[in-house]
Amino acid sequence: MSTAGKVIKCKAAVAWEPNKPVVIEEIEVAPPQANEVRIKIVATGVCHTDLYHLFEGMHKDGFPAVLGHEGAGIVESVGPGVTEFQPGDKVIPLFLSQCKECHLCKNPRTNQCEVAWTRINQAIMAGVESRFTCKGKRVLQFMGTSTFSEYTVINQTAVAKIDPAAPLDKVCLLGCGICTGYGAAVNTAKVEPGSTCAVFGLGAVGLAAVMGCKAAGAKRIIAVDVNPDKFENAKVFGATDFVNPKDHDKPIHEVLTKMTSGGVDYSLECVGNVQVMRSALESSAQGWGVSVIVGWTDLHDIVIRPVHLISGRTWKGSMFGGFKSKDGVSKMVKDYLDKKLKVDEFISHNMTLDQANDAIELMKNCKCIRAVMSVSPP
Amino acid sequence: MATDGKVITCKAAVAWEPGKPLCIEEVEVAPPKAHEVRIKVVATGVCHTDWEYLFETGKGMKFRPFPLVLGHEAAGIVESIGPEVTRVSPGDKVIPLFLPYCGECERCLSPKTNHCKKNWTNMQAGVLADGTSRISCKGQQVYQFLGVSSFSQYTVVPDTSVAKIRSDAPLDKVCLLGCGVSTGYGAAINAGKVEKDSSCAVFGLGAVGLAAVMGCKVAIARRIIGVDINPDKFEKARQFGATDCINPRDYSKPIQEVVVEMTGGGVDYALECVGSPAIMNAALESTRDAWGTCVIAGWTETETMSISVEKLLMGRTLKGTYFGGWKSVKDVPKLVDDYMNHKLKLDEFITEKLPLVQINKAFDLLKSGKSIRTVISLQDS
Repeated sequence: MSTAGKVIKCKAAVAWEPNKPVVIEEIEVAPPQANEVRIKIVATGVCHTDLYHLFEGMHKDGFPAVLGHEGAGIVESVGPGVTEFQPGDKVIPLFLSQCKECHLCKNPRTNQCEVAWTRINQAIMAGVESRFTCKGKRVLQFMGTSTFSEYTVINQTAVAKIDPAAPLDKVCLLGCGICTGYGAAVNTAKVEPGSTCAVFGLGAVGLAAVMGCKAAGAKRIIAVDVNPDKFENAKVFGATDFVNPKDHDKPIHEVLTKMTSGGVDYSLECVGNVQVMRSALESSAQGWGVSVIVGWTDLHDIVIRPVHLISGRTWKGSMFGGFKSKDGVSKMVKDYLDKKLKVDEFISHNMTLDQANDAIELMKNCKCIRAVMSVSPP
Repeated sequence: MATDGKVITCKAAVAWEPGKPLCIEEVEVAPPKAHEVRIKVVATGVCHTDWEYLFETGKGMKFRPFPLVLGHEAAGIVESIGPEVTRVSPGDKVIPLFLPYCGECERCLSPKTNHCKKNWTNMQAGVLADGTSRISCKGQQVYQFLGVSSFSQYTVVPDTSVAKIRSDAPLDKVCLLGCGVSTGYGAAINAGKVEKDSSCAVFGLGAVGLAAVMGCKVAIARRIIGVDINPDKFEKARQFGATDCINPRDYSKPIQEVVVEMTGGGVDYALECVGSPAIMNAALESTRDAWGTCVIAGWTETETMSISVEKLLMGRTLKGTYFGGWKSVKDVPKLVDDYMNHKLKLDEFITEKLPLVQINKAFDLLKSGKSIRTVISLQDS
């Protein structure tokens, strides 16, 4: 391509400082260096974790940054040493790498990878290096991906090549939320056929978890949320029961324990709130209950009673649904194309990158499931 | 037997009120009712949990009603059985169990758990199925701790709370399978599912911790780090298989950081064998991310623990175990077999033997850290 080897000037939504709207700017995107891939981002979702960084105000050194980690695009050019990708490939950027060489990648028990940015400097929630500049300043690439930009540069260990038939304005959502929730049920909780599940939080991650529980053959899937508007969506994905904690005087774990005569086999927390995490644990059955924390927080501690674990519950957590990222994403795209997985049903709004702040507001006010922003023409 | 159907008068160590030493009293033990078994207790271990319910009630333990006969780690011989008891007969060697196994409920039939709840609420309250205790003293009902009460020459337990064991088993050794050794050993084997060549850290080197070390060794762990603030415990831990022993008091940094450093990232398995929420958190944080598993074997009934959520999100698993995950009636006889076949150590846990009349000394030894297990012999006081 004519831009290969050159700096690209393009549009991006830059978060200059915490708690302020993002600004549509012209940024410079340097060409890919060794083992890197420059990608034209076609579409991106807005995930709650993007807001987490922007509004929680705890990662002060993580600015300025271009947010976005749930995108899909087309390879524009590749750096030296890259053989896996070539210009024109359809790809999904990955906020969790899969180098396939480290001892973590070689171990089937985990999806962690030694070269993940989380292992280098998690406090800035970004890769240490950046290929972005704007107005003379270095701009961080949030979670190593930065999909709120027409172009981004990512190490090839954090890019998944996907089926060329995949519609990028749909499968972008497989870059985070859907895989996170679905995988939490299927890979981390390992939901079994005939079991009873409870999913706390019916945003995109929770709905994907409901979908995962259904795919795993759960007999009963209880969807829990304080916003009853979300129940209809949950039904689409397979939820069988719907509980709003605000409708009950008793604590939610007591309500669920009673309605299931002892507690659920699997509970999944898809909010990122420590009180809900505790409720989710205590809603799981004594003896064999498994509770999985899916929702993200790296800031808070949670308080529980050890007796709840001693009496037979298991408590786990995972990132990105336990999927080894490259392998998992390309398989999930295939499952979508084979109609084994729903993706379209998550999209509540179609917008453009210029409307990034509106999309963020929708997410902040819980008024969408997923807003997909088109970033560049395909 | 001559005592069949009659009240037996015998000696027991009675706890009249919390915080006071036990008193050796003459007690009456009523005959067993339907589905109950009266046992002549031959030997009992003294477990830290017995001590806690006497001296630490209200601090992390729910209040148990007094007067009480403590003790829940014992072995004996069936003296008589109540109507409809088929599992054991007079003369059988048995281990009474604070964790039941009815064999019929959903939990007993599930491979995932050992938490049978037969008679549970009553046994926790110190009584048998009909809501009363079989032990009385000076005209008062004396509650049976966890429904067992092994600090008595005779006791009565439900038939779903007693394991029949082989007749050649030495009762003064296998009594330890009634609690501590089974708990720690099972924490490693069943709950942790420690794998060959893995690295382990065991926090707390009392009987439960040593049994966990033993379990890690049987699982052929490559490295077993014993952690305790009492360095006198290290020698025994090494005998059981610990490859390293560390004392948190020797370091200025938190012990989890020490473990993470010495293992280049953290252990595959951590087992908490103390019952302290702060140590539970340290144990979790001493495991490696990606697949580290922390098992809580130590007991605390009411306390809370605080952990950083991120530790779980990065791939760790936190679980707990009760009685080492063993299905009590079914598995305890197999553990006895393992002992008799030299696959499992018991003798090495016993640091002192005392008659019933000196039982308070056993508590002193426990608290001073000078004992692992004192075995009390009931029949020759």
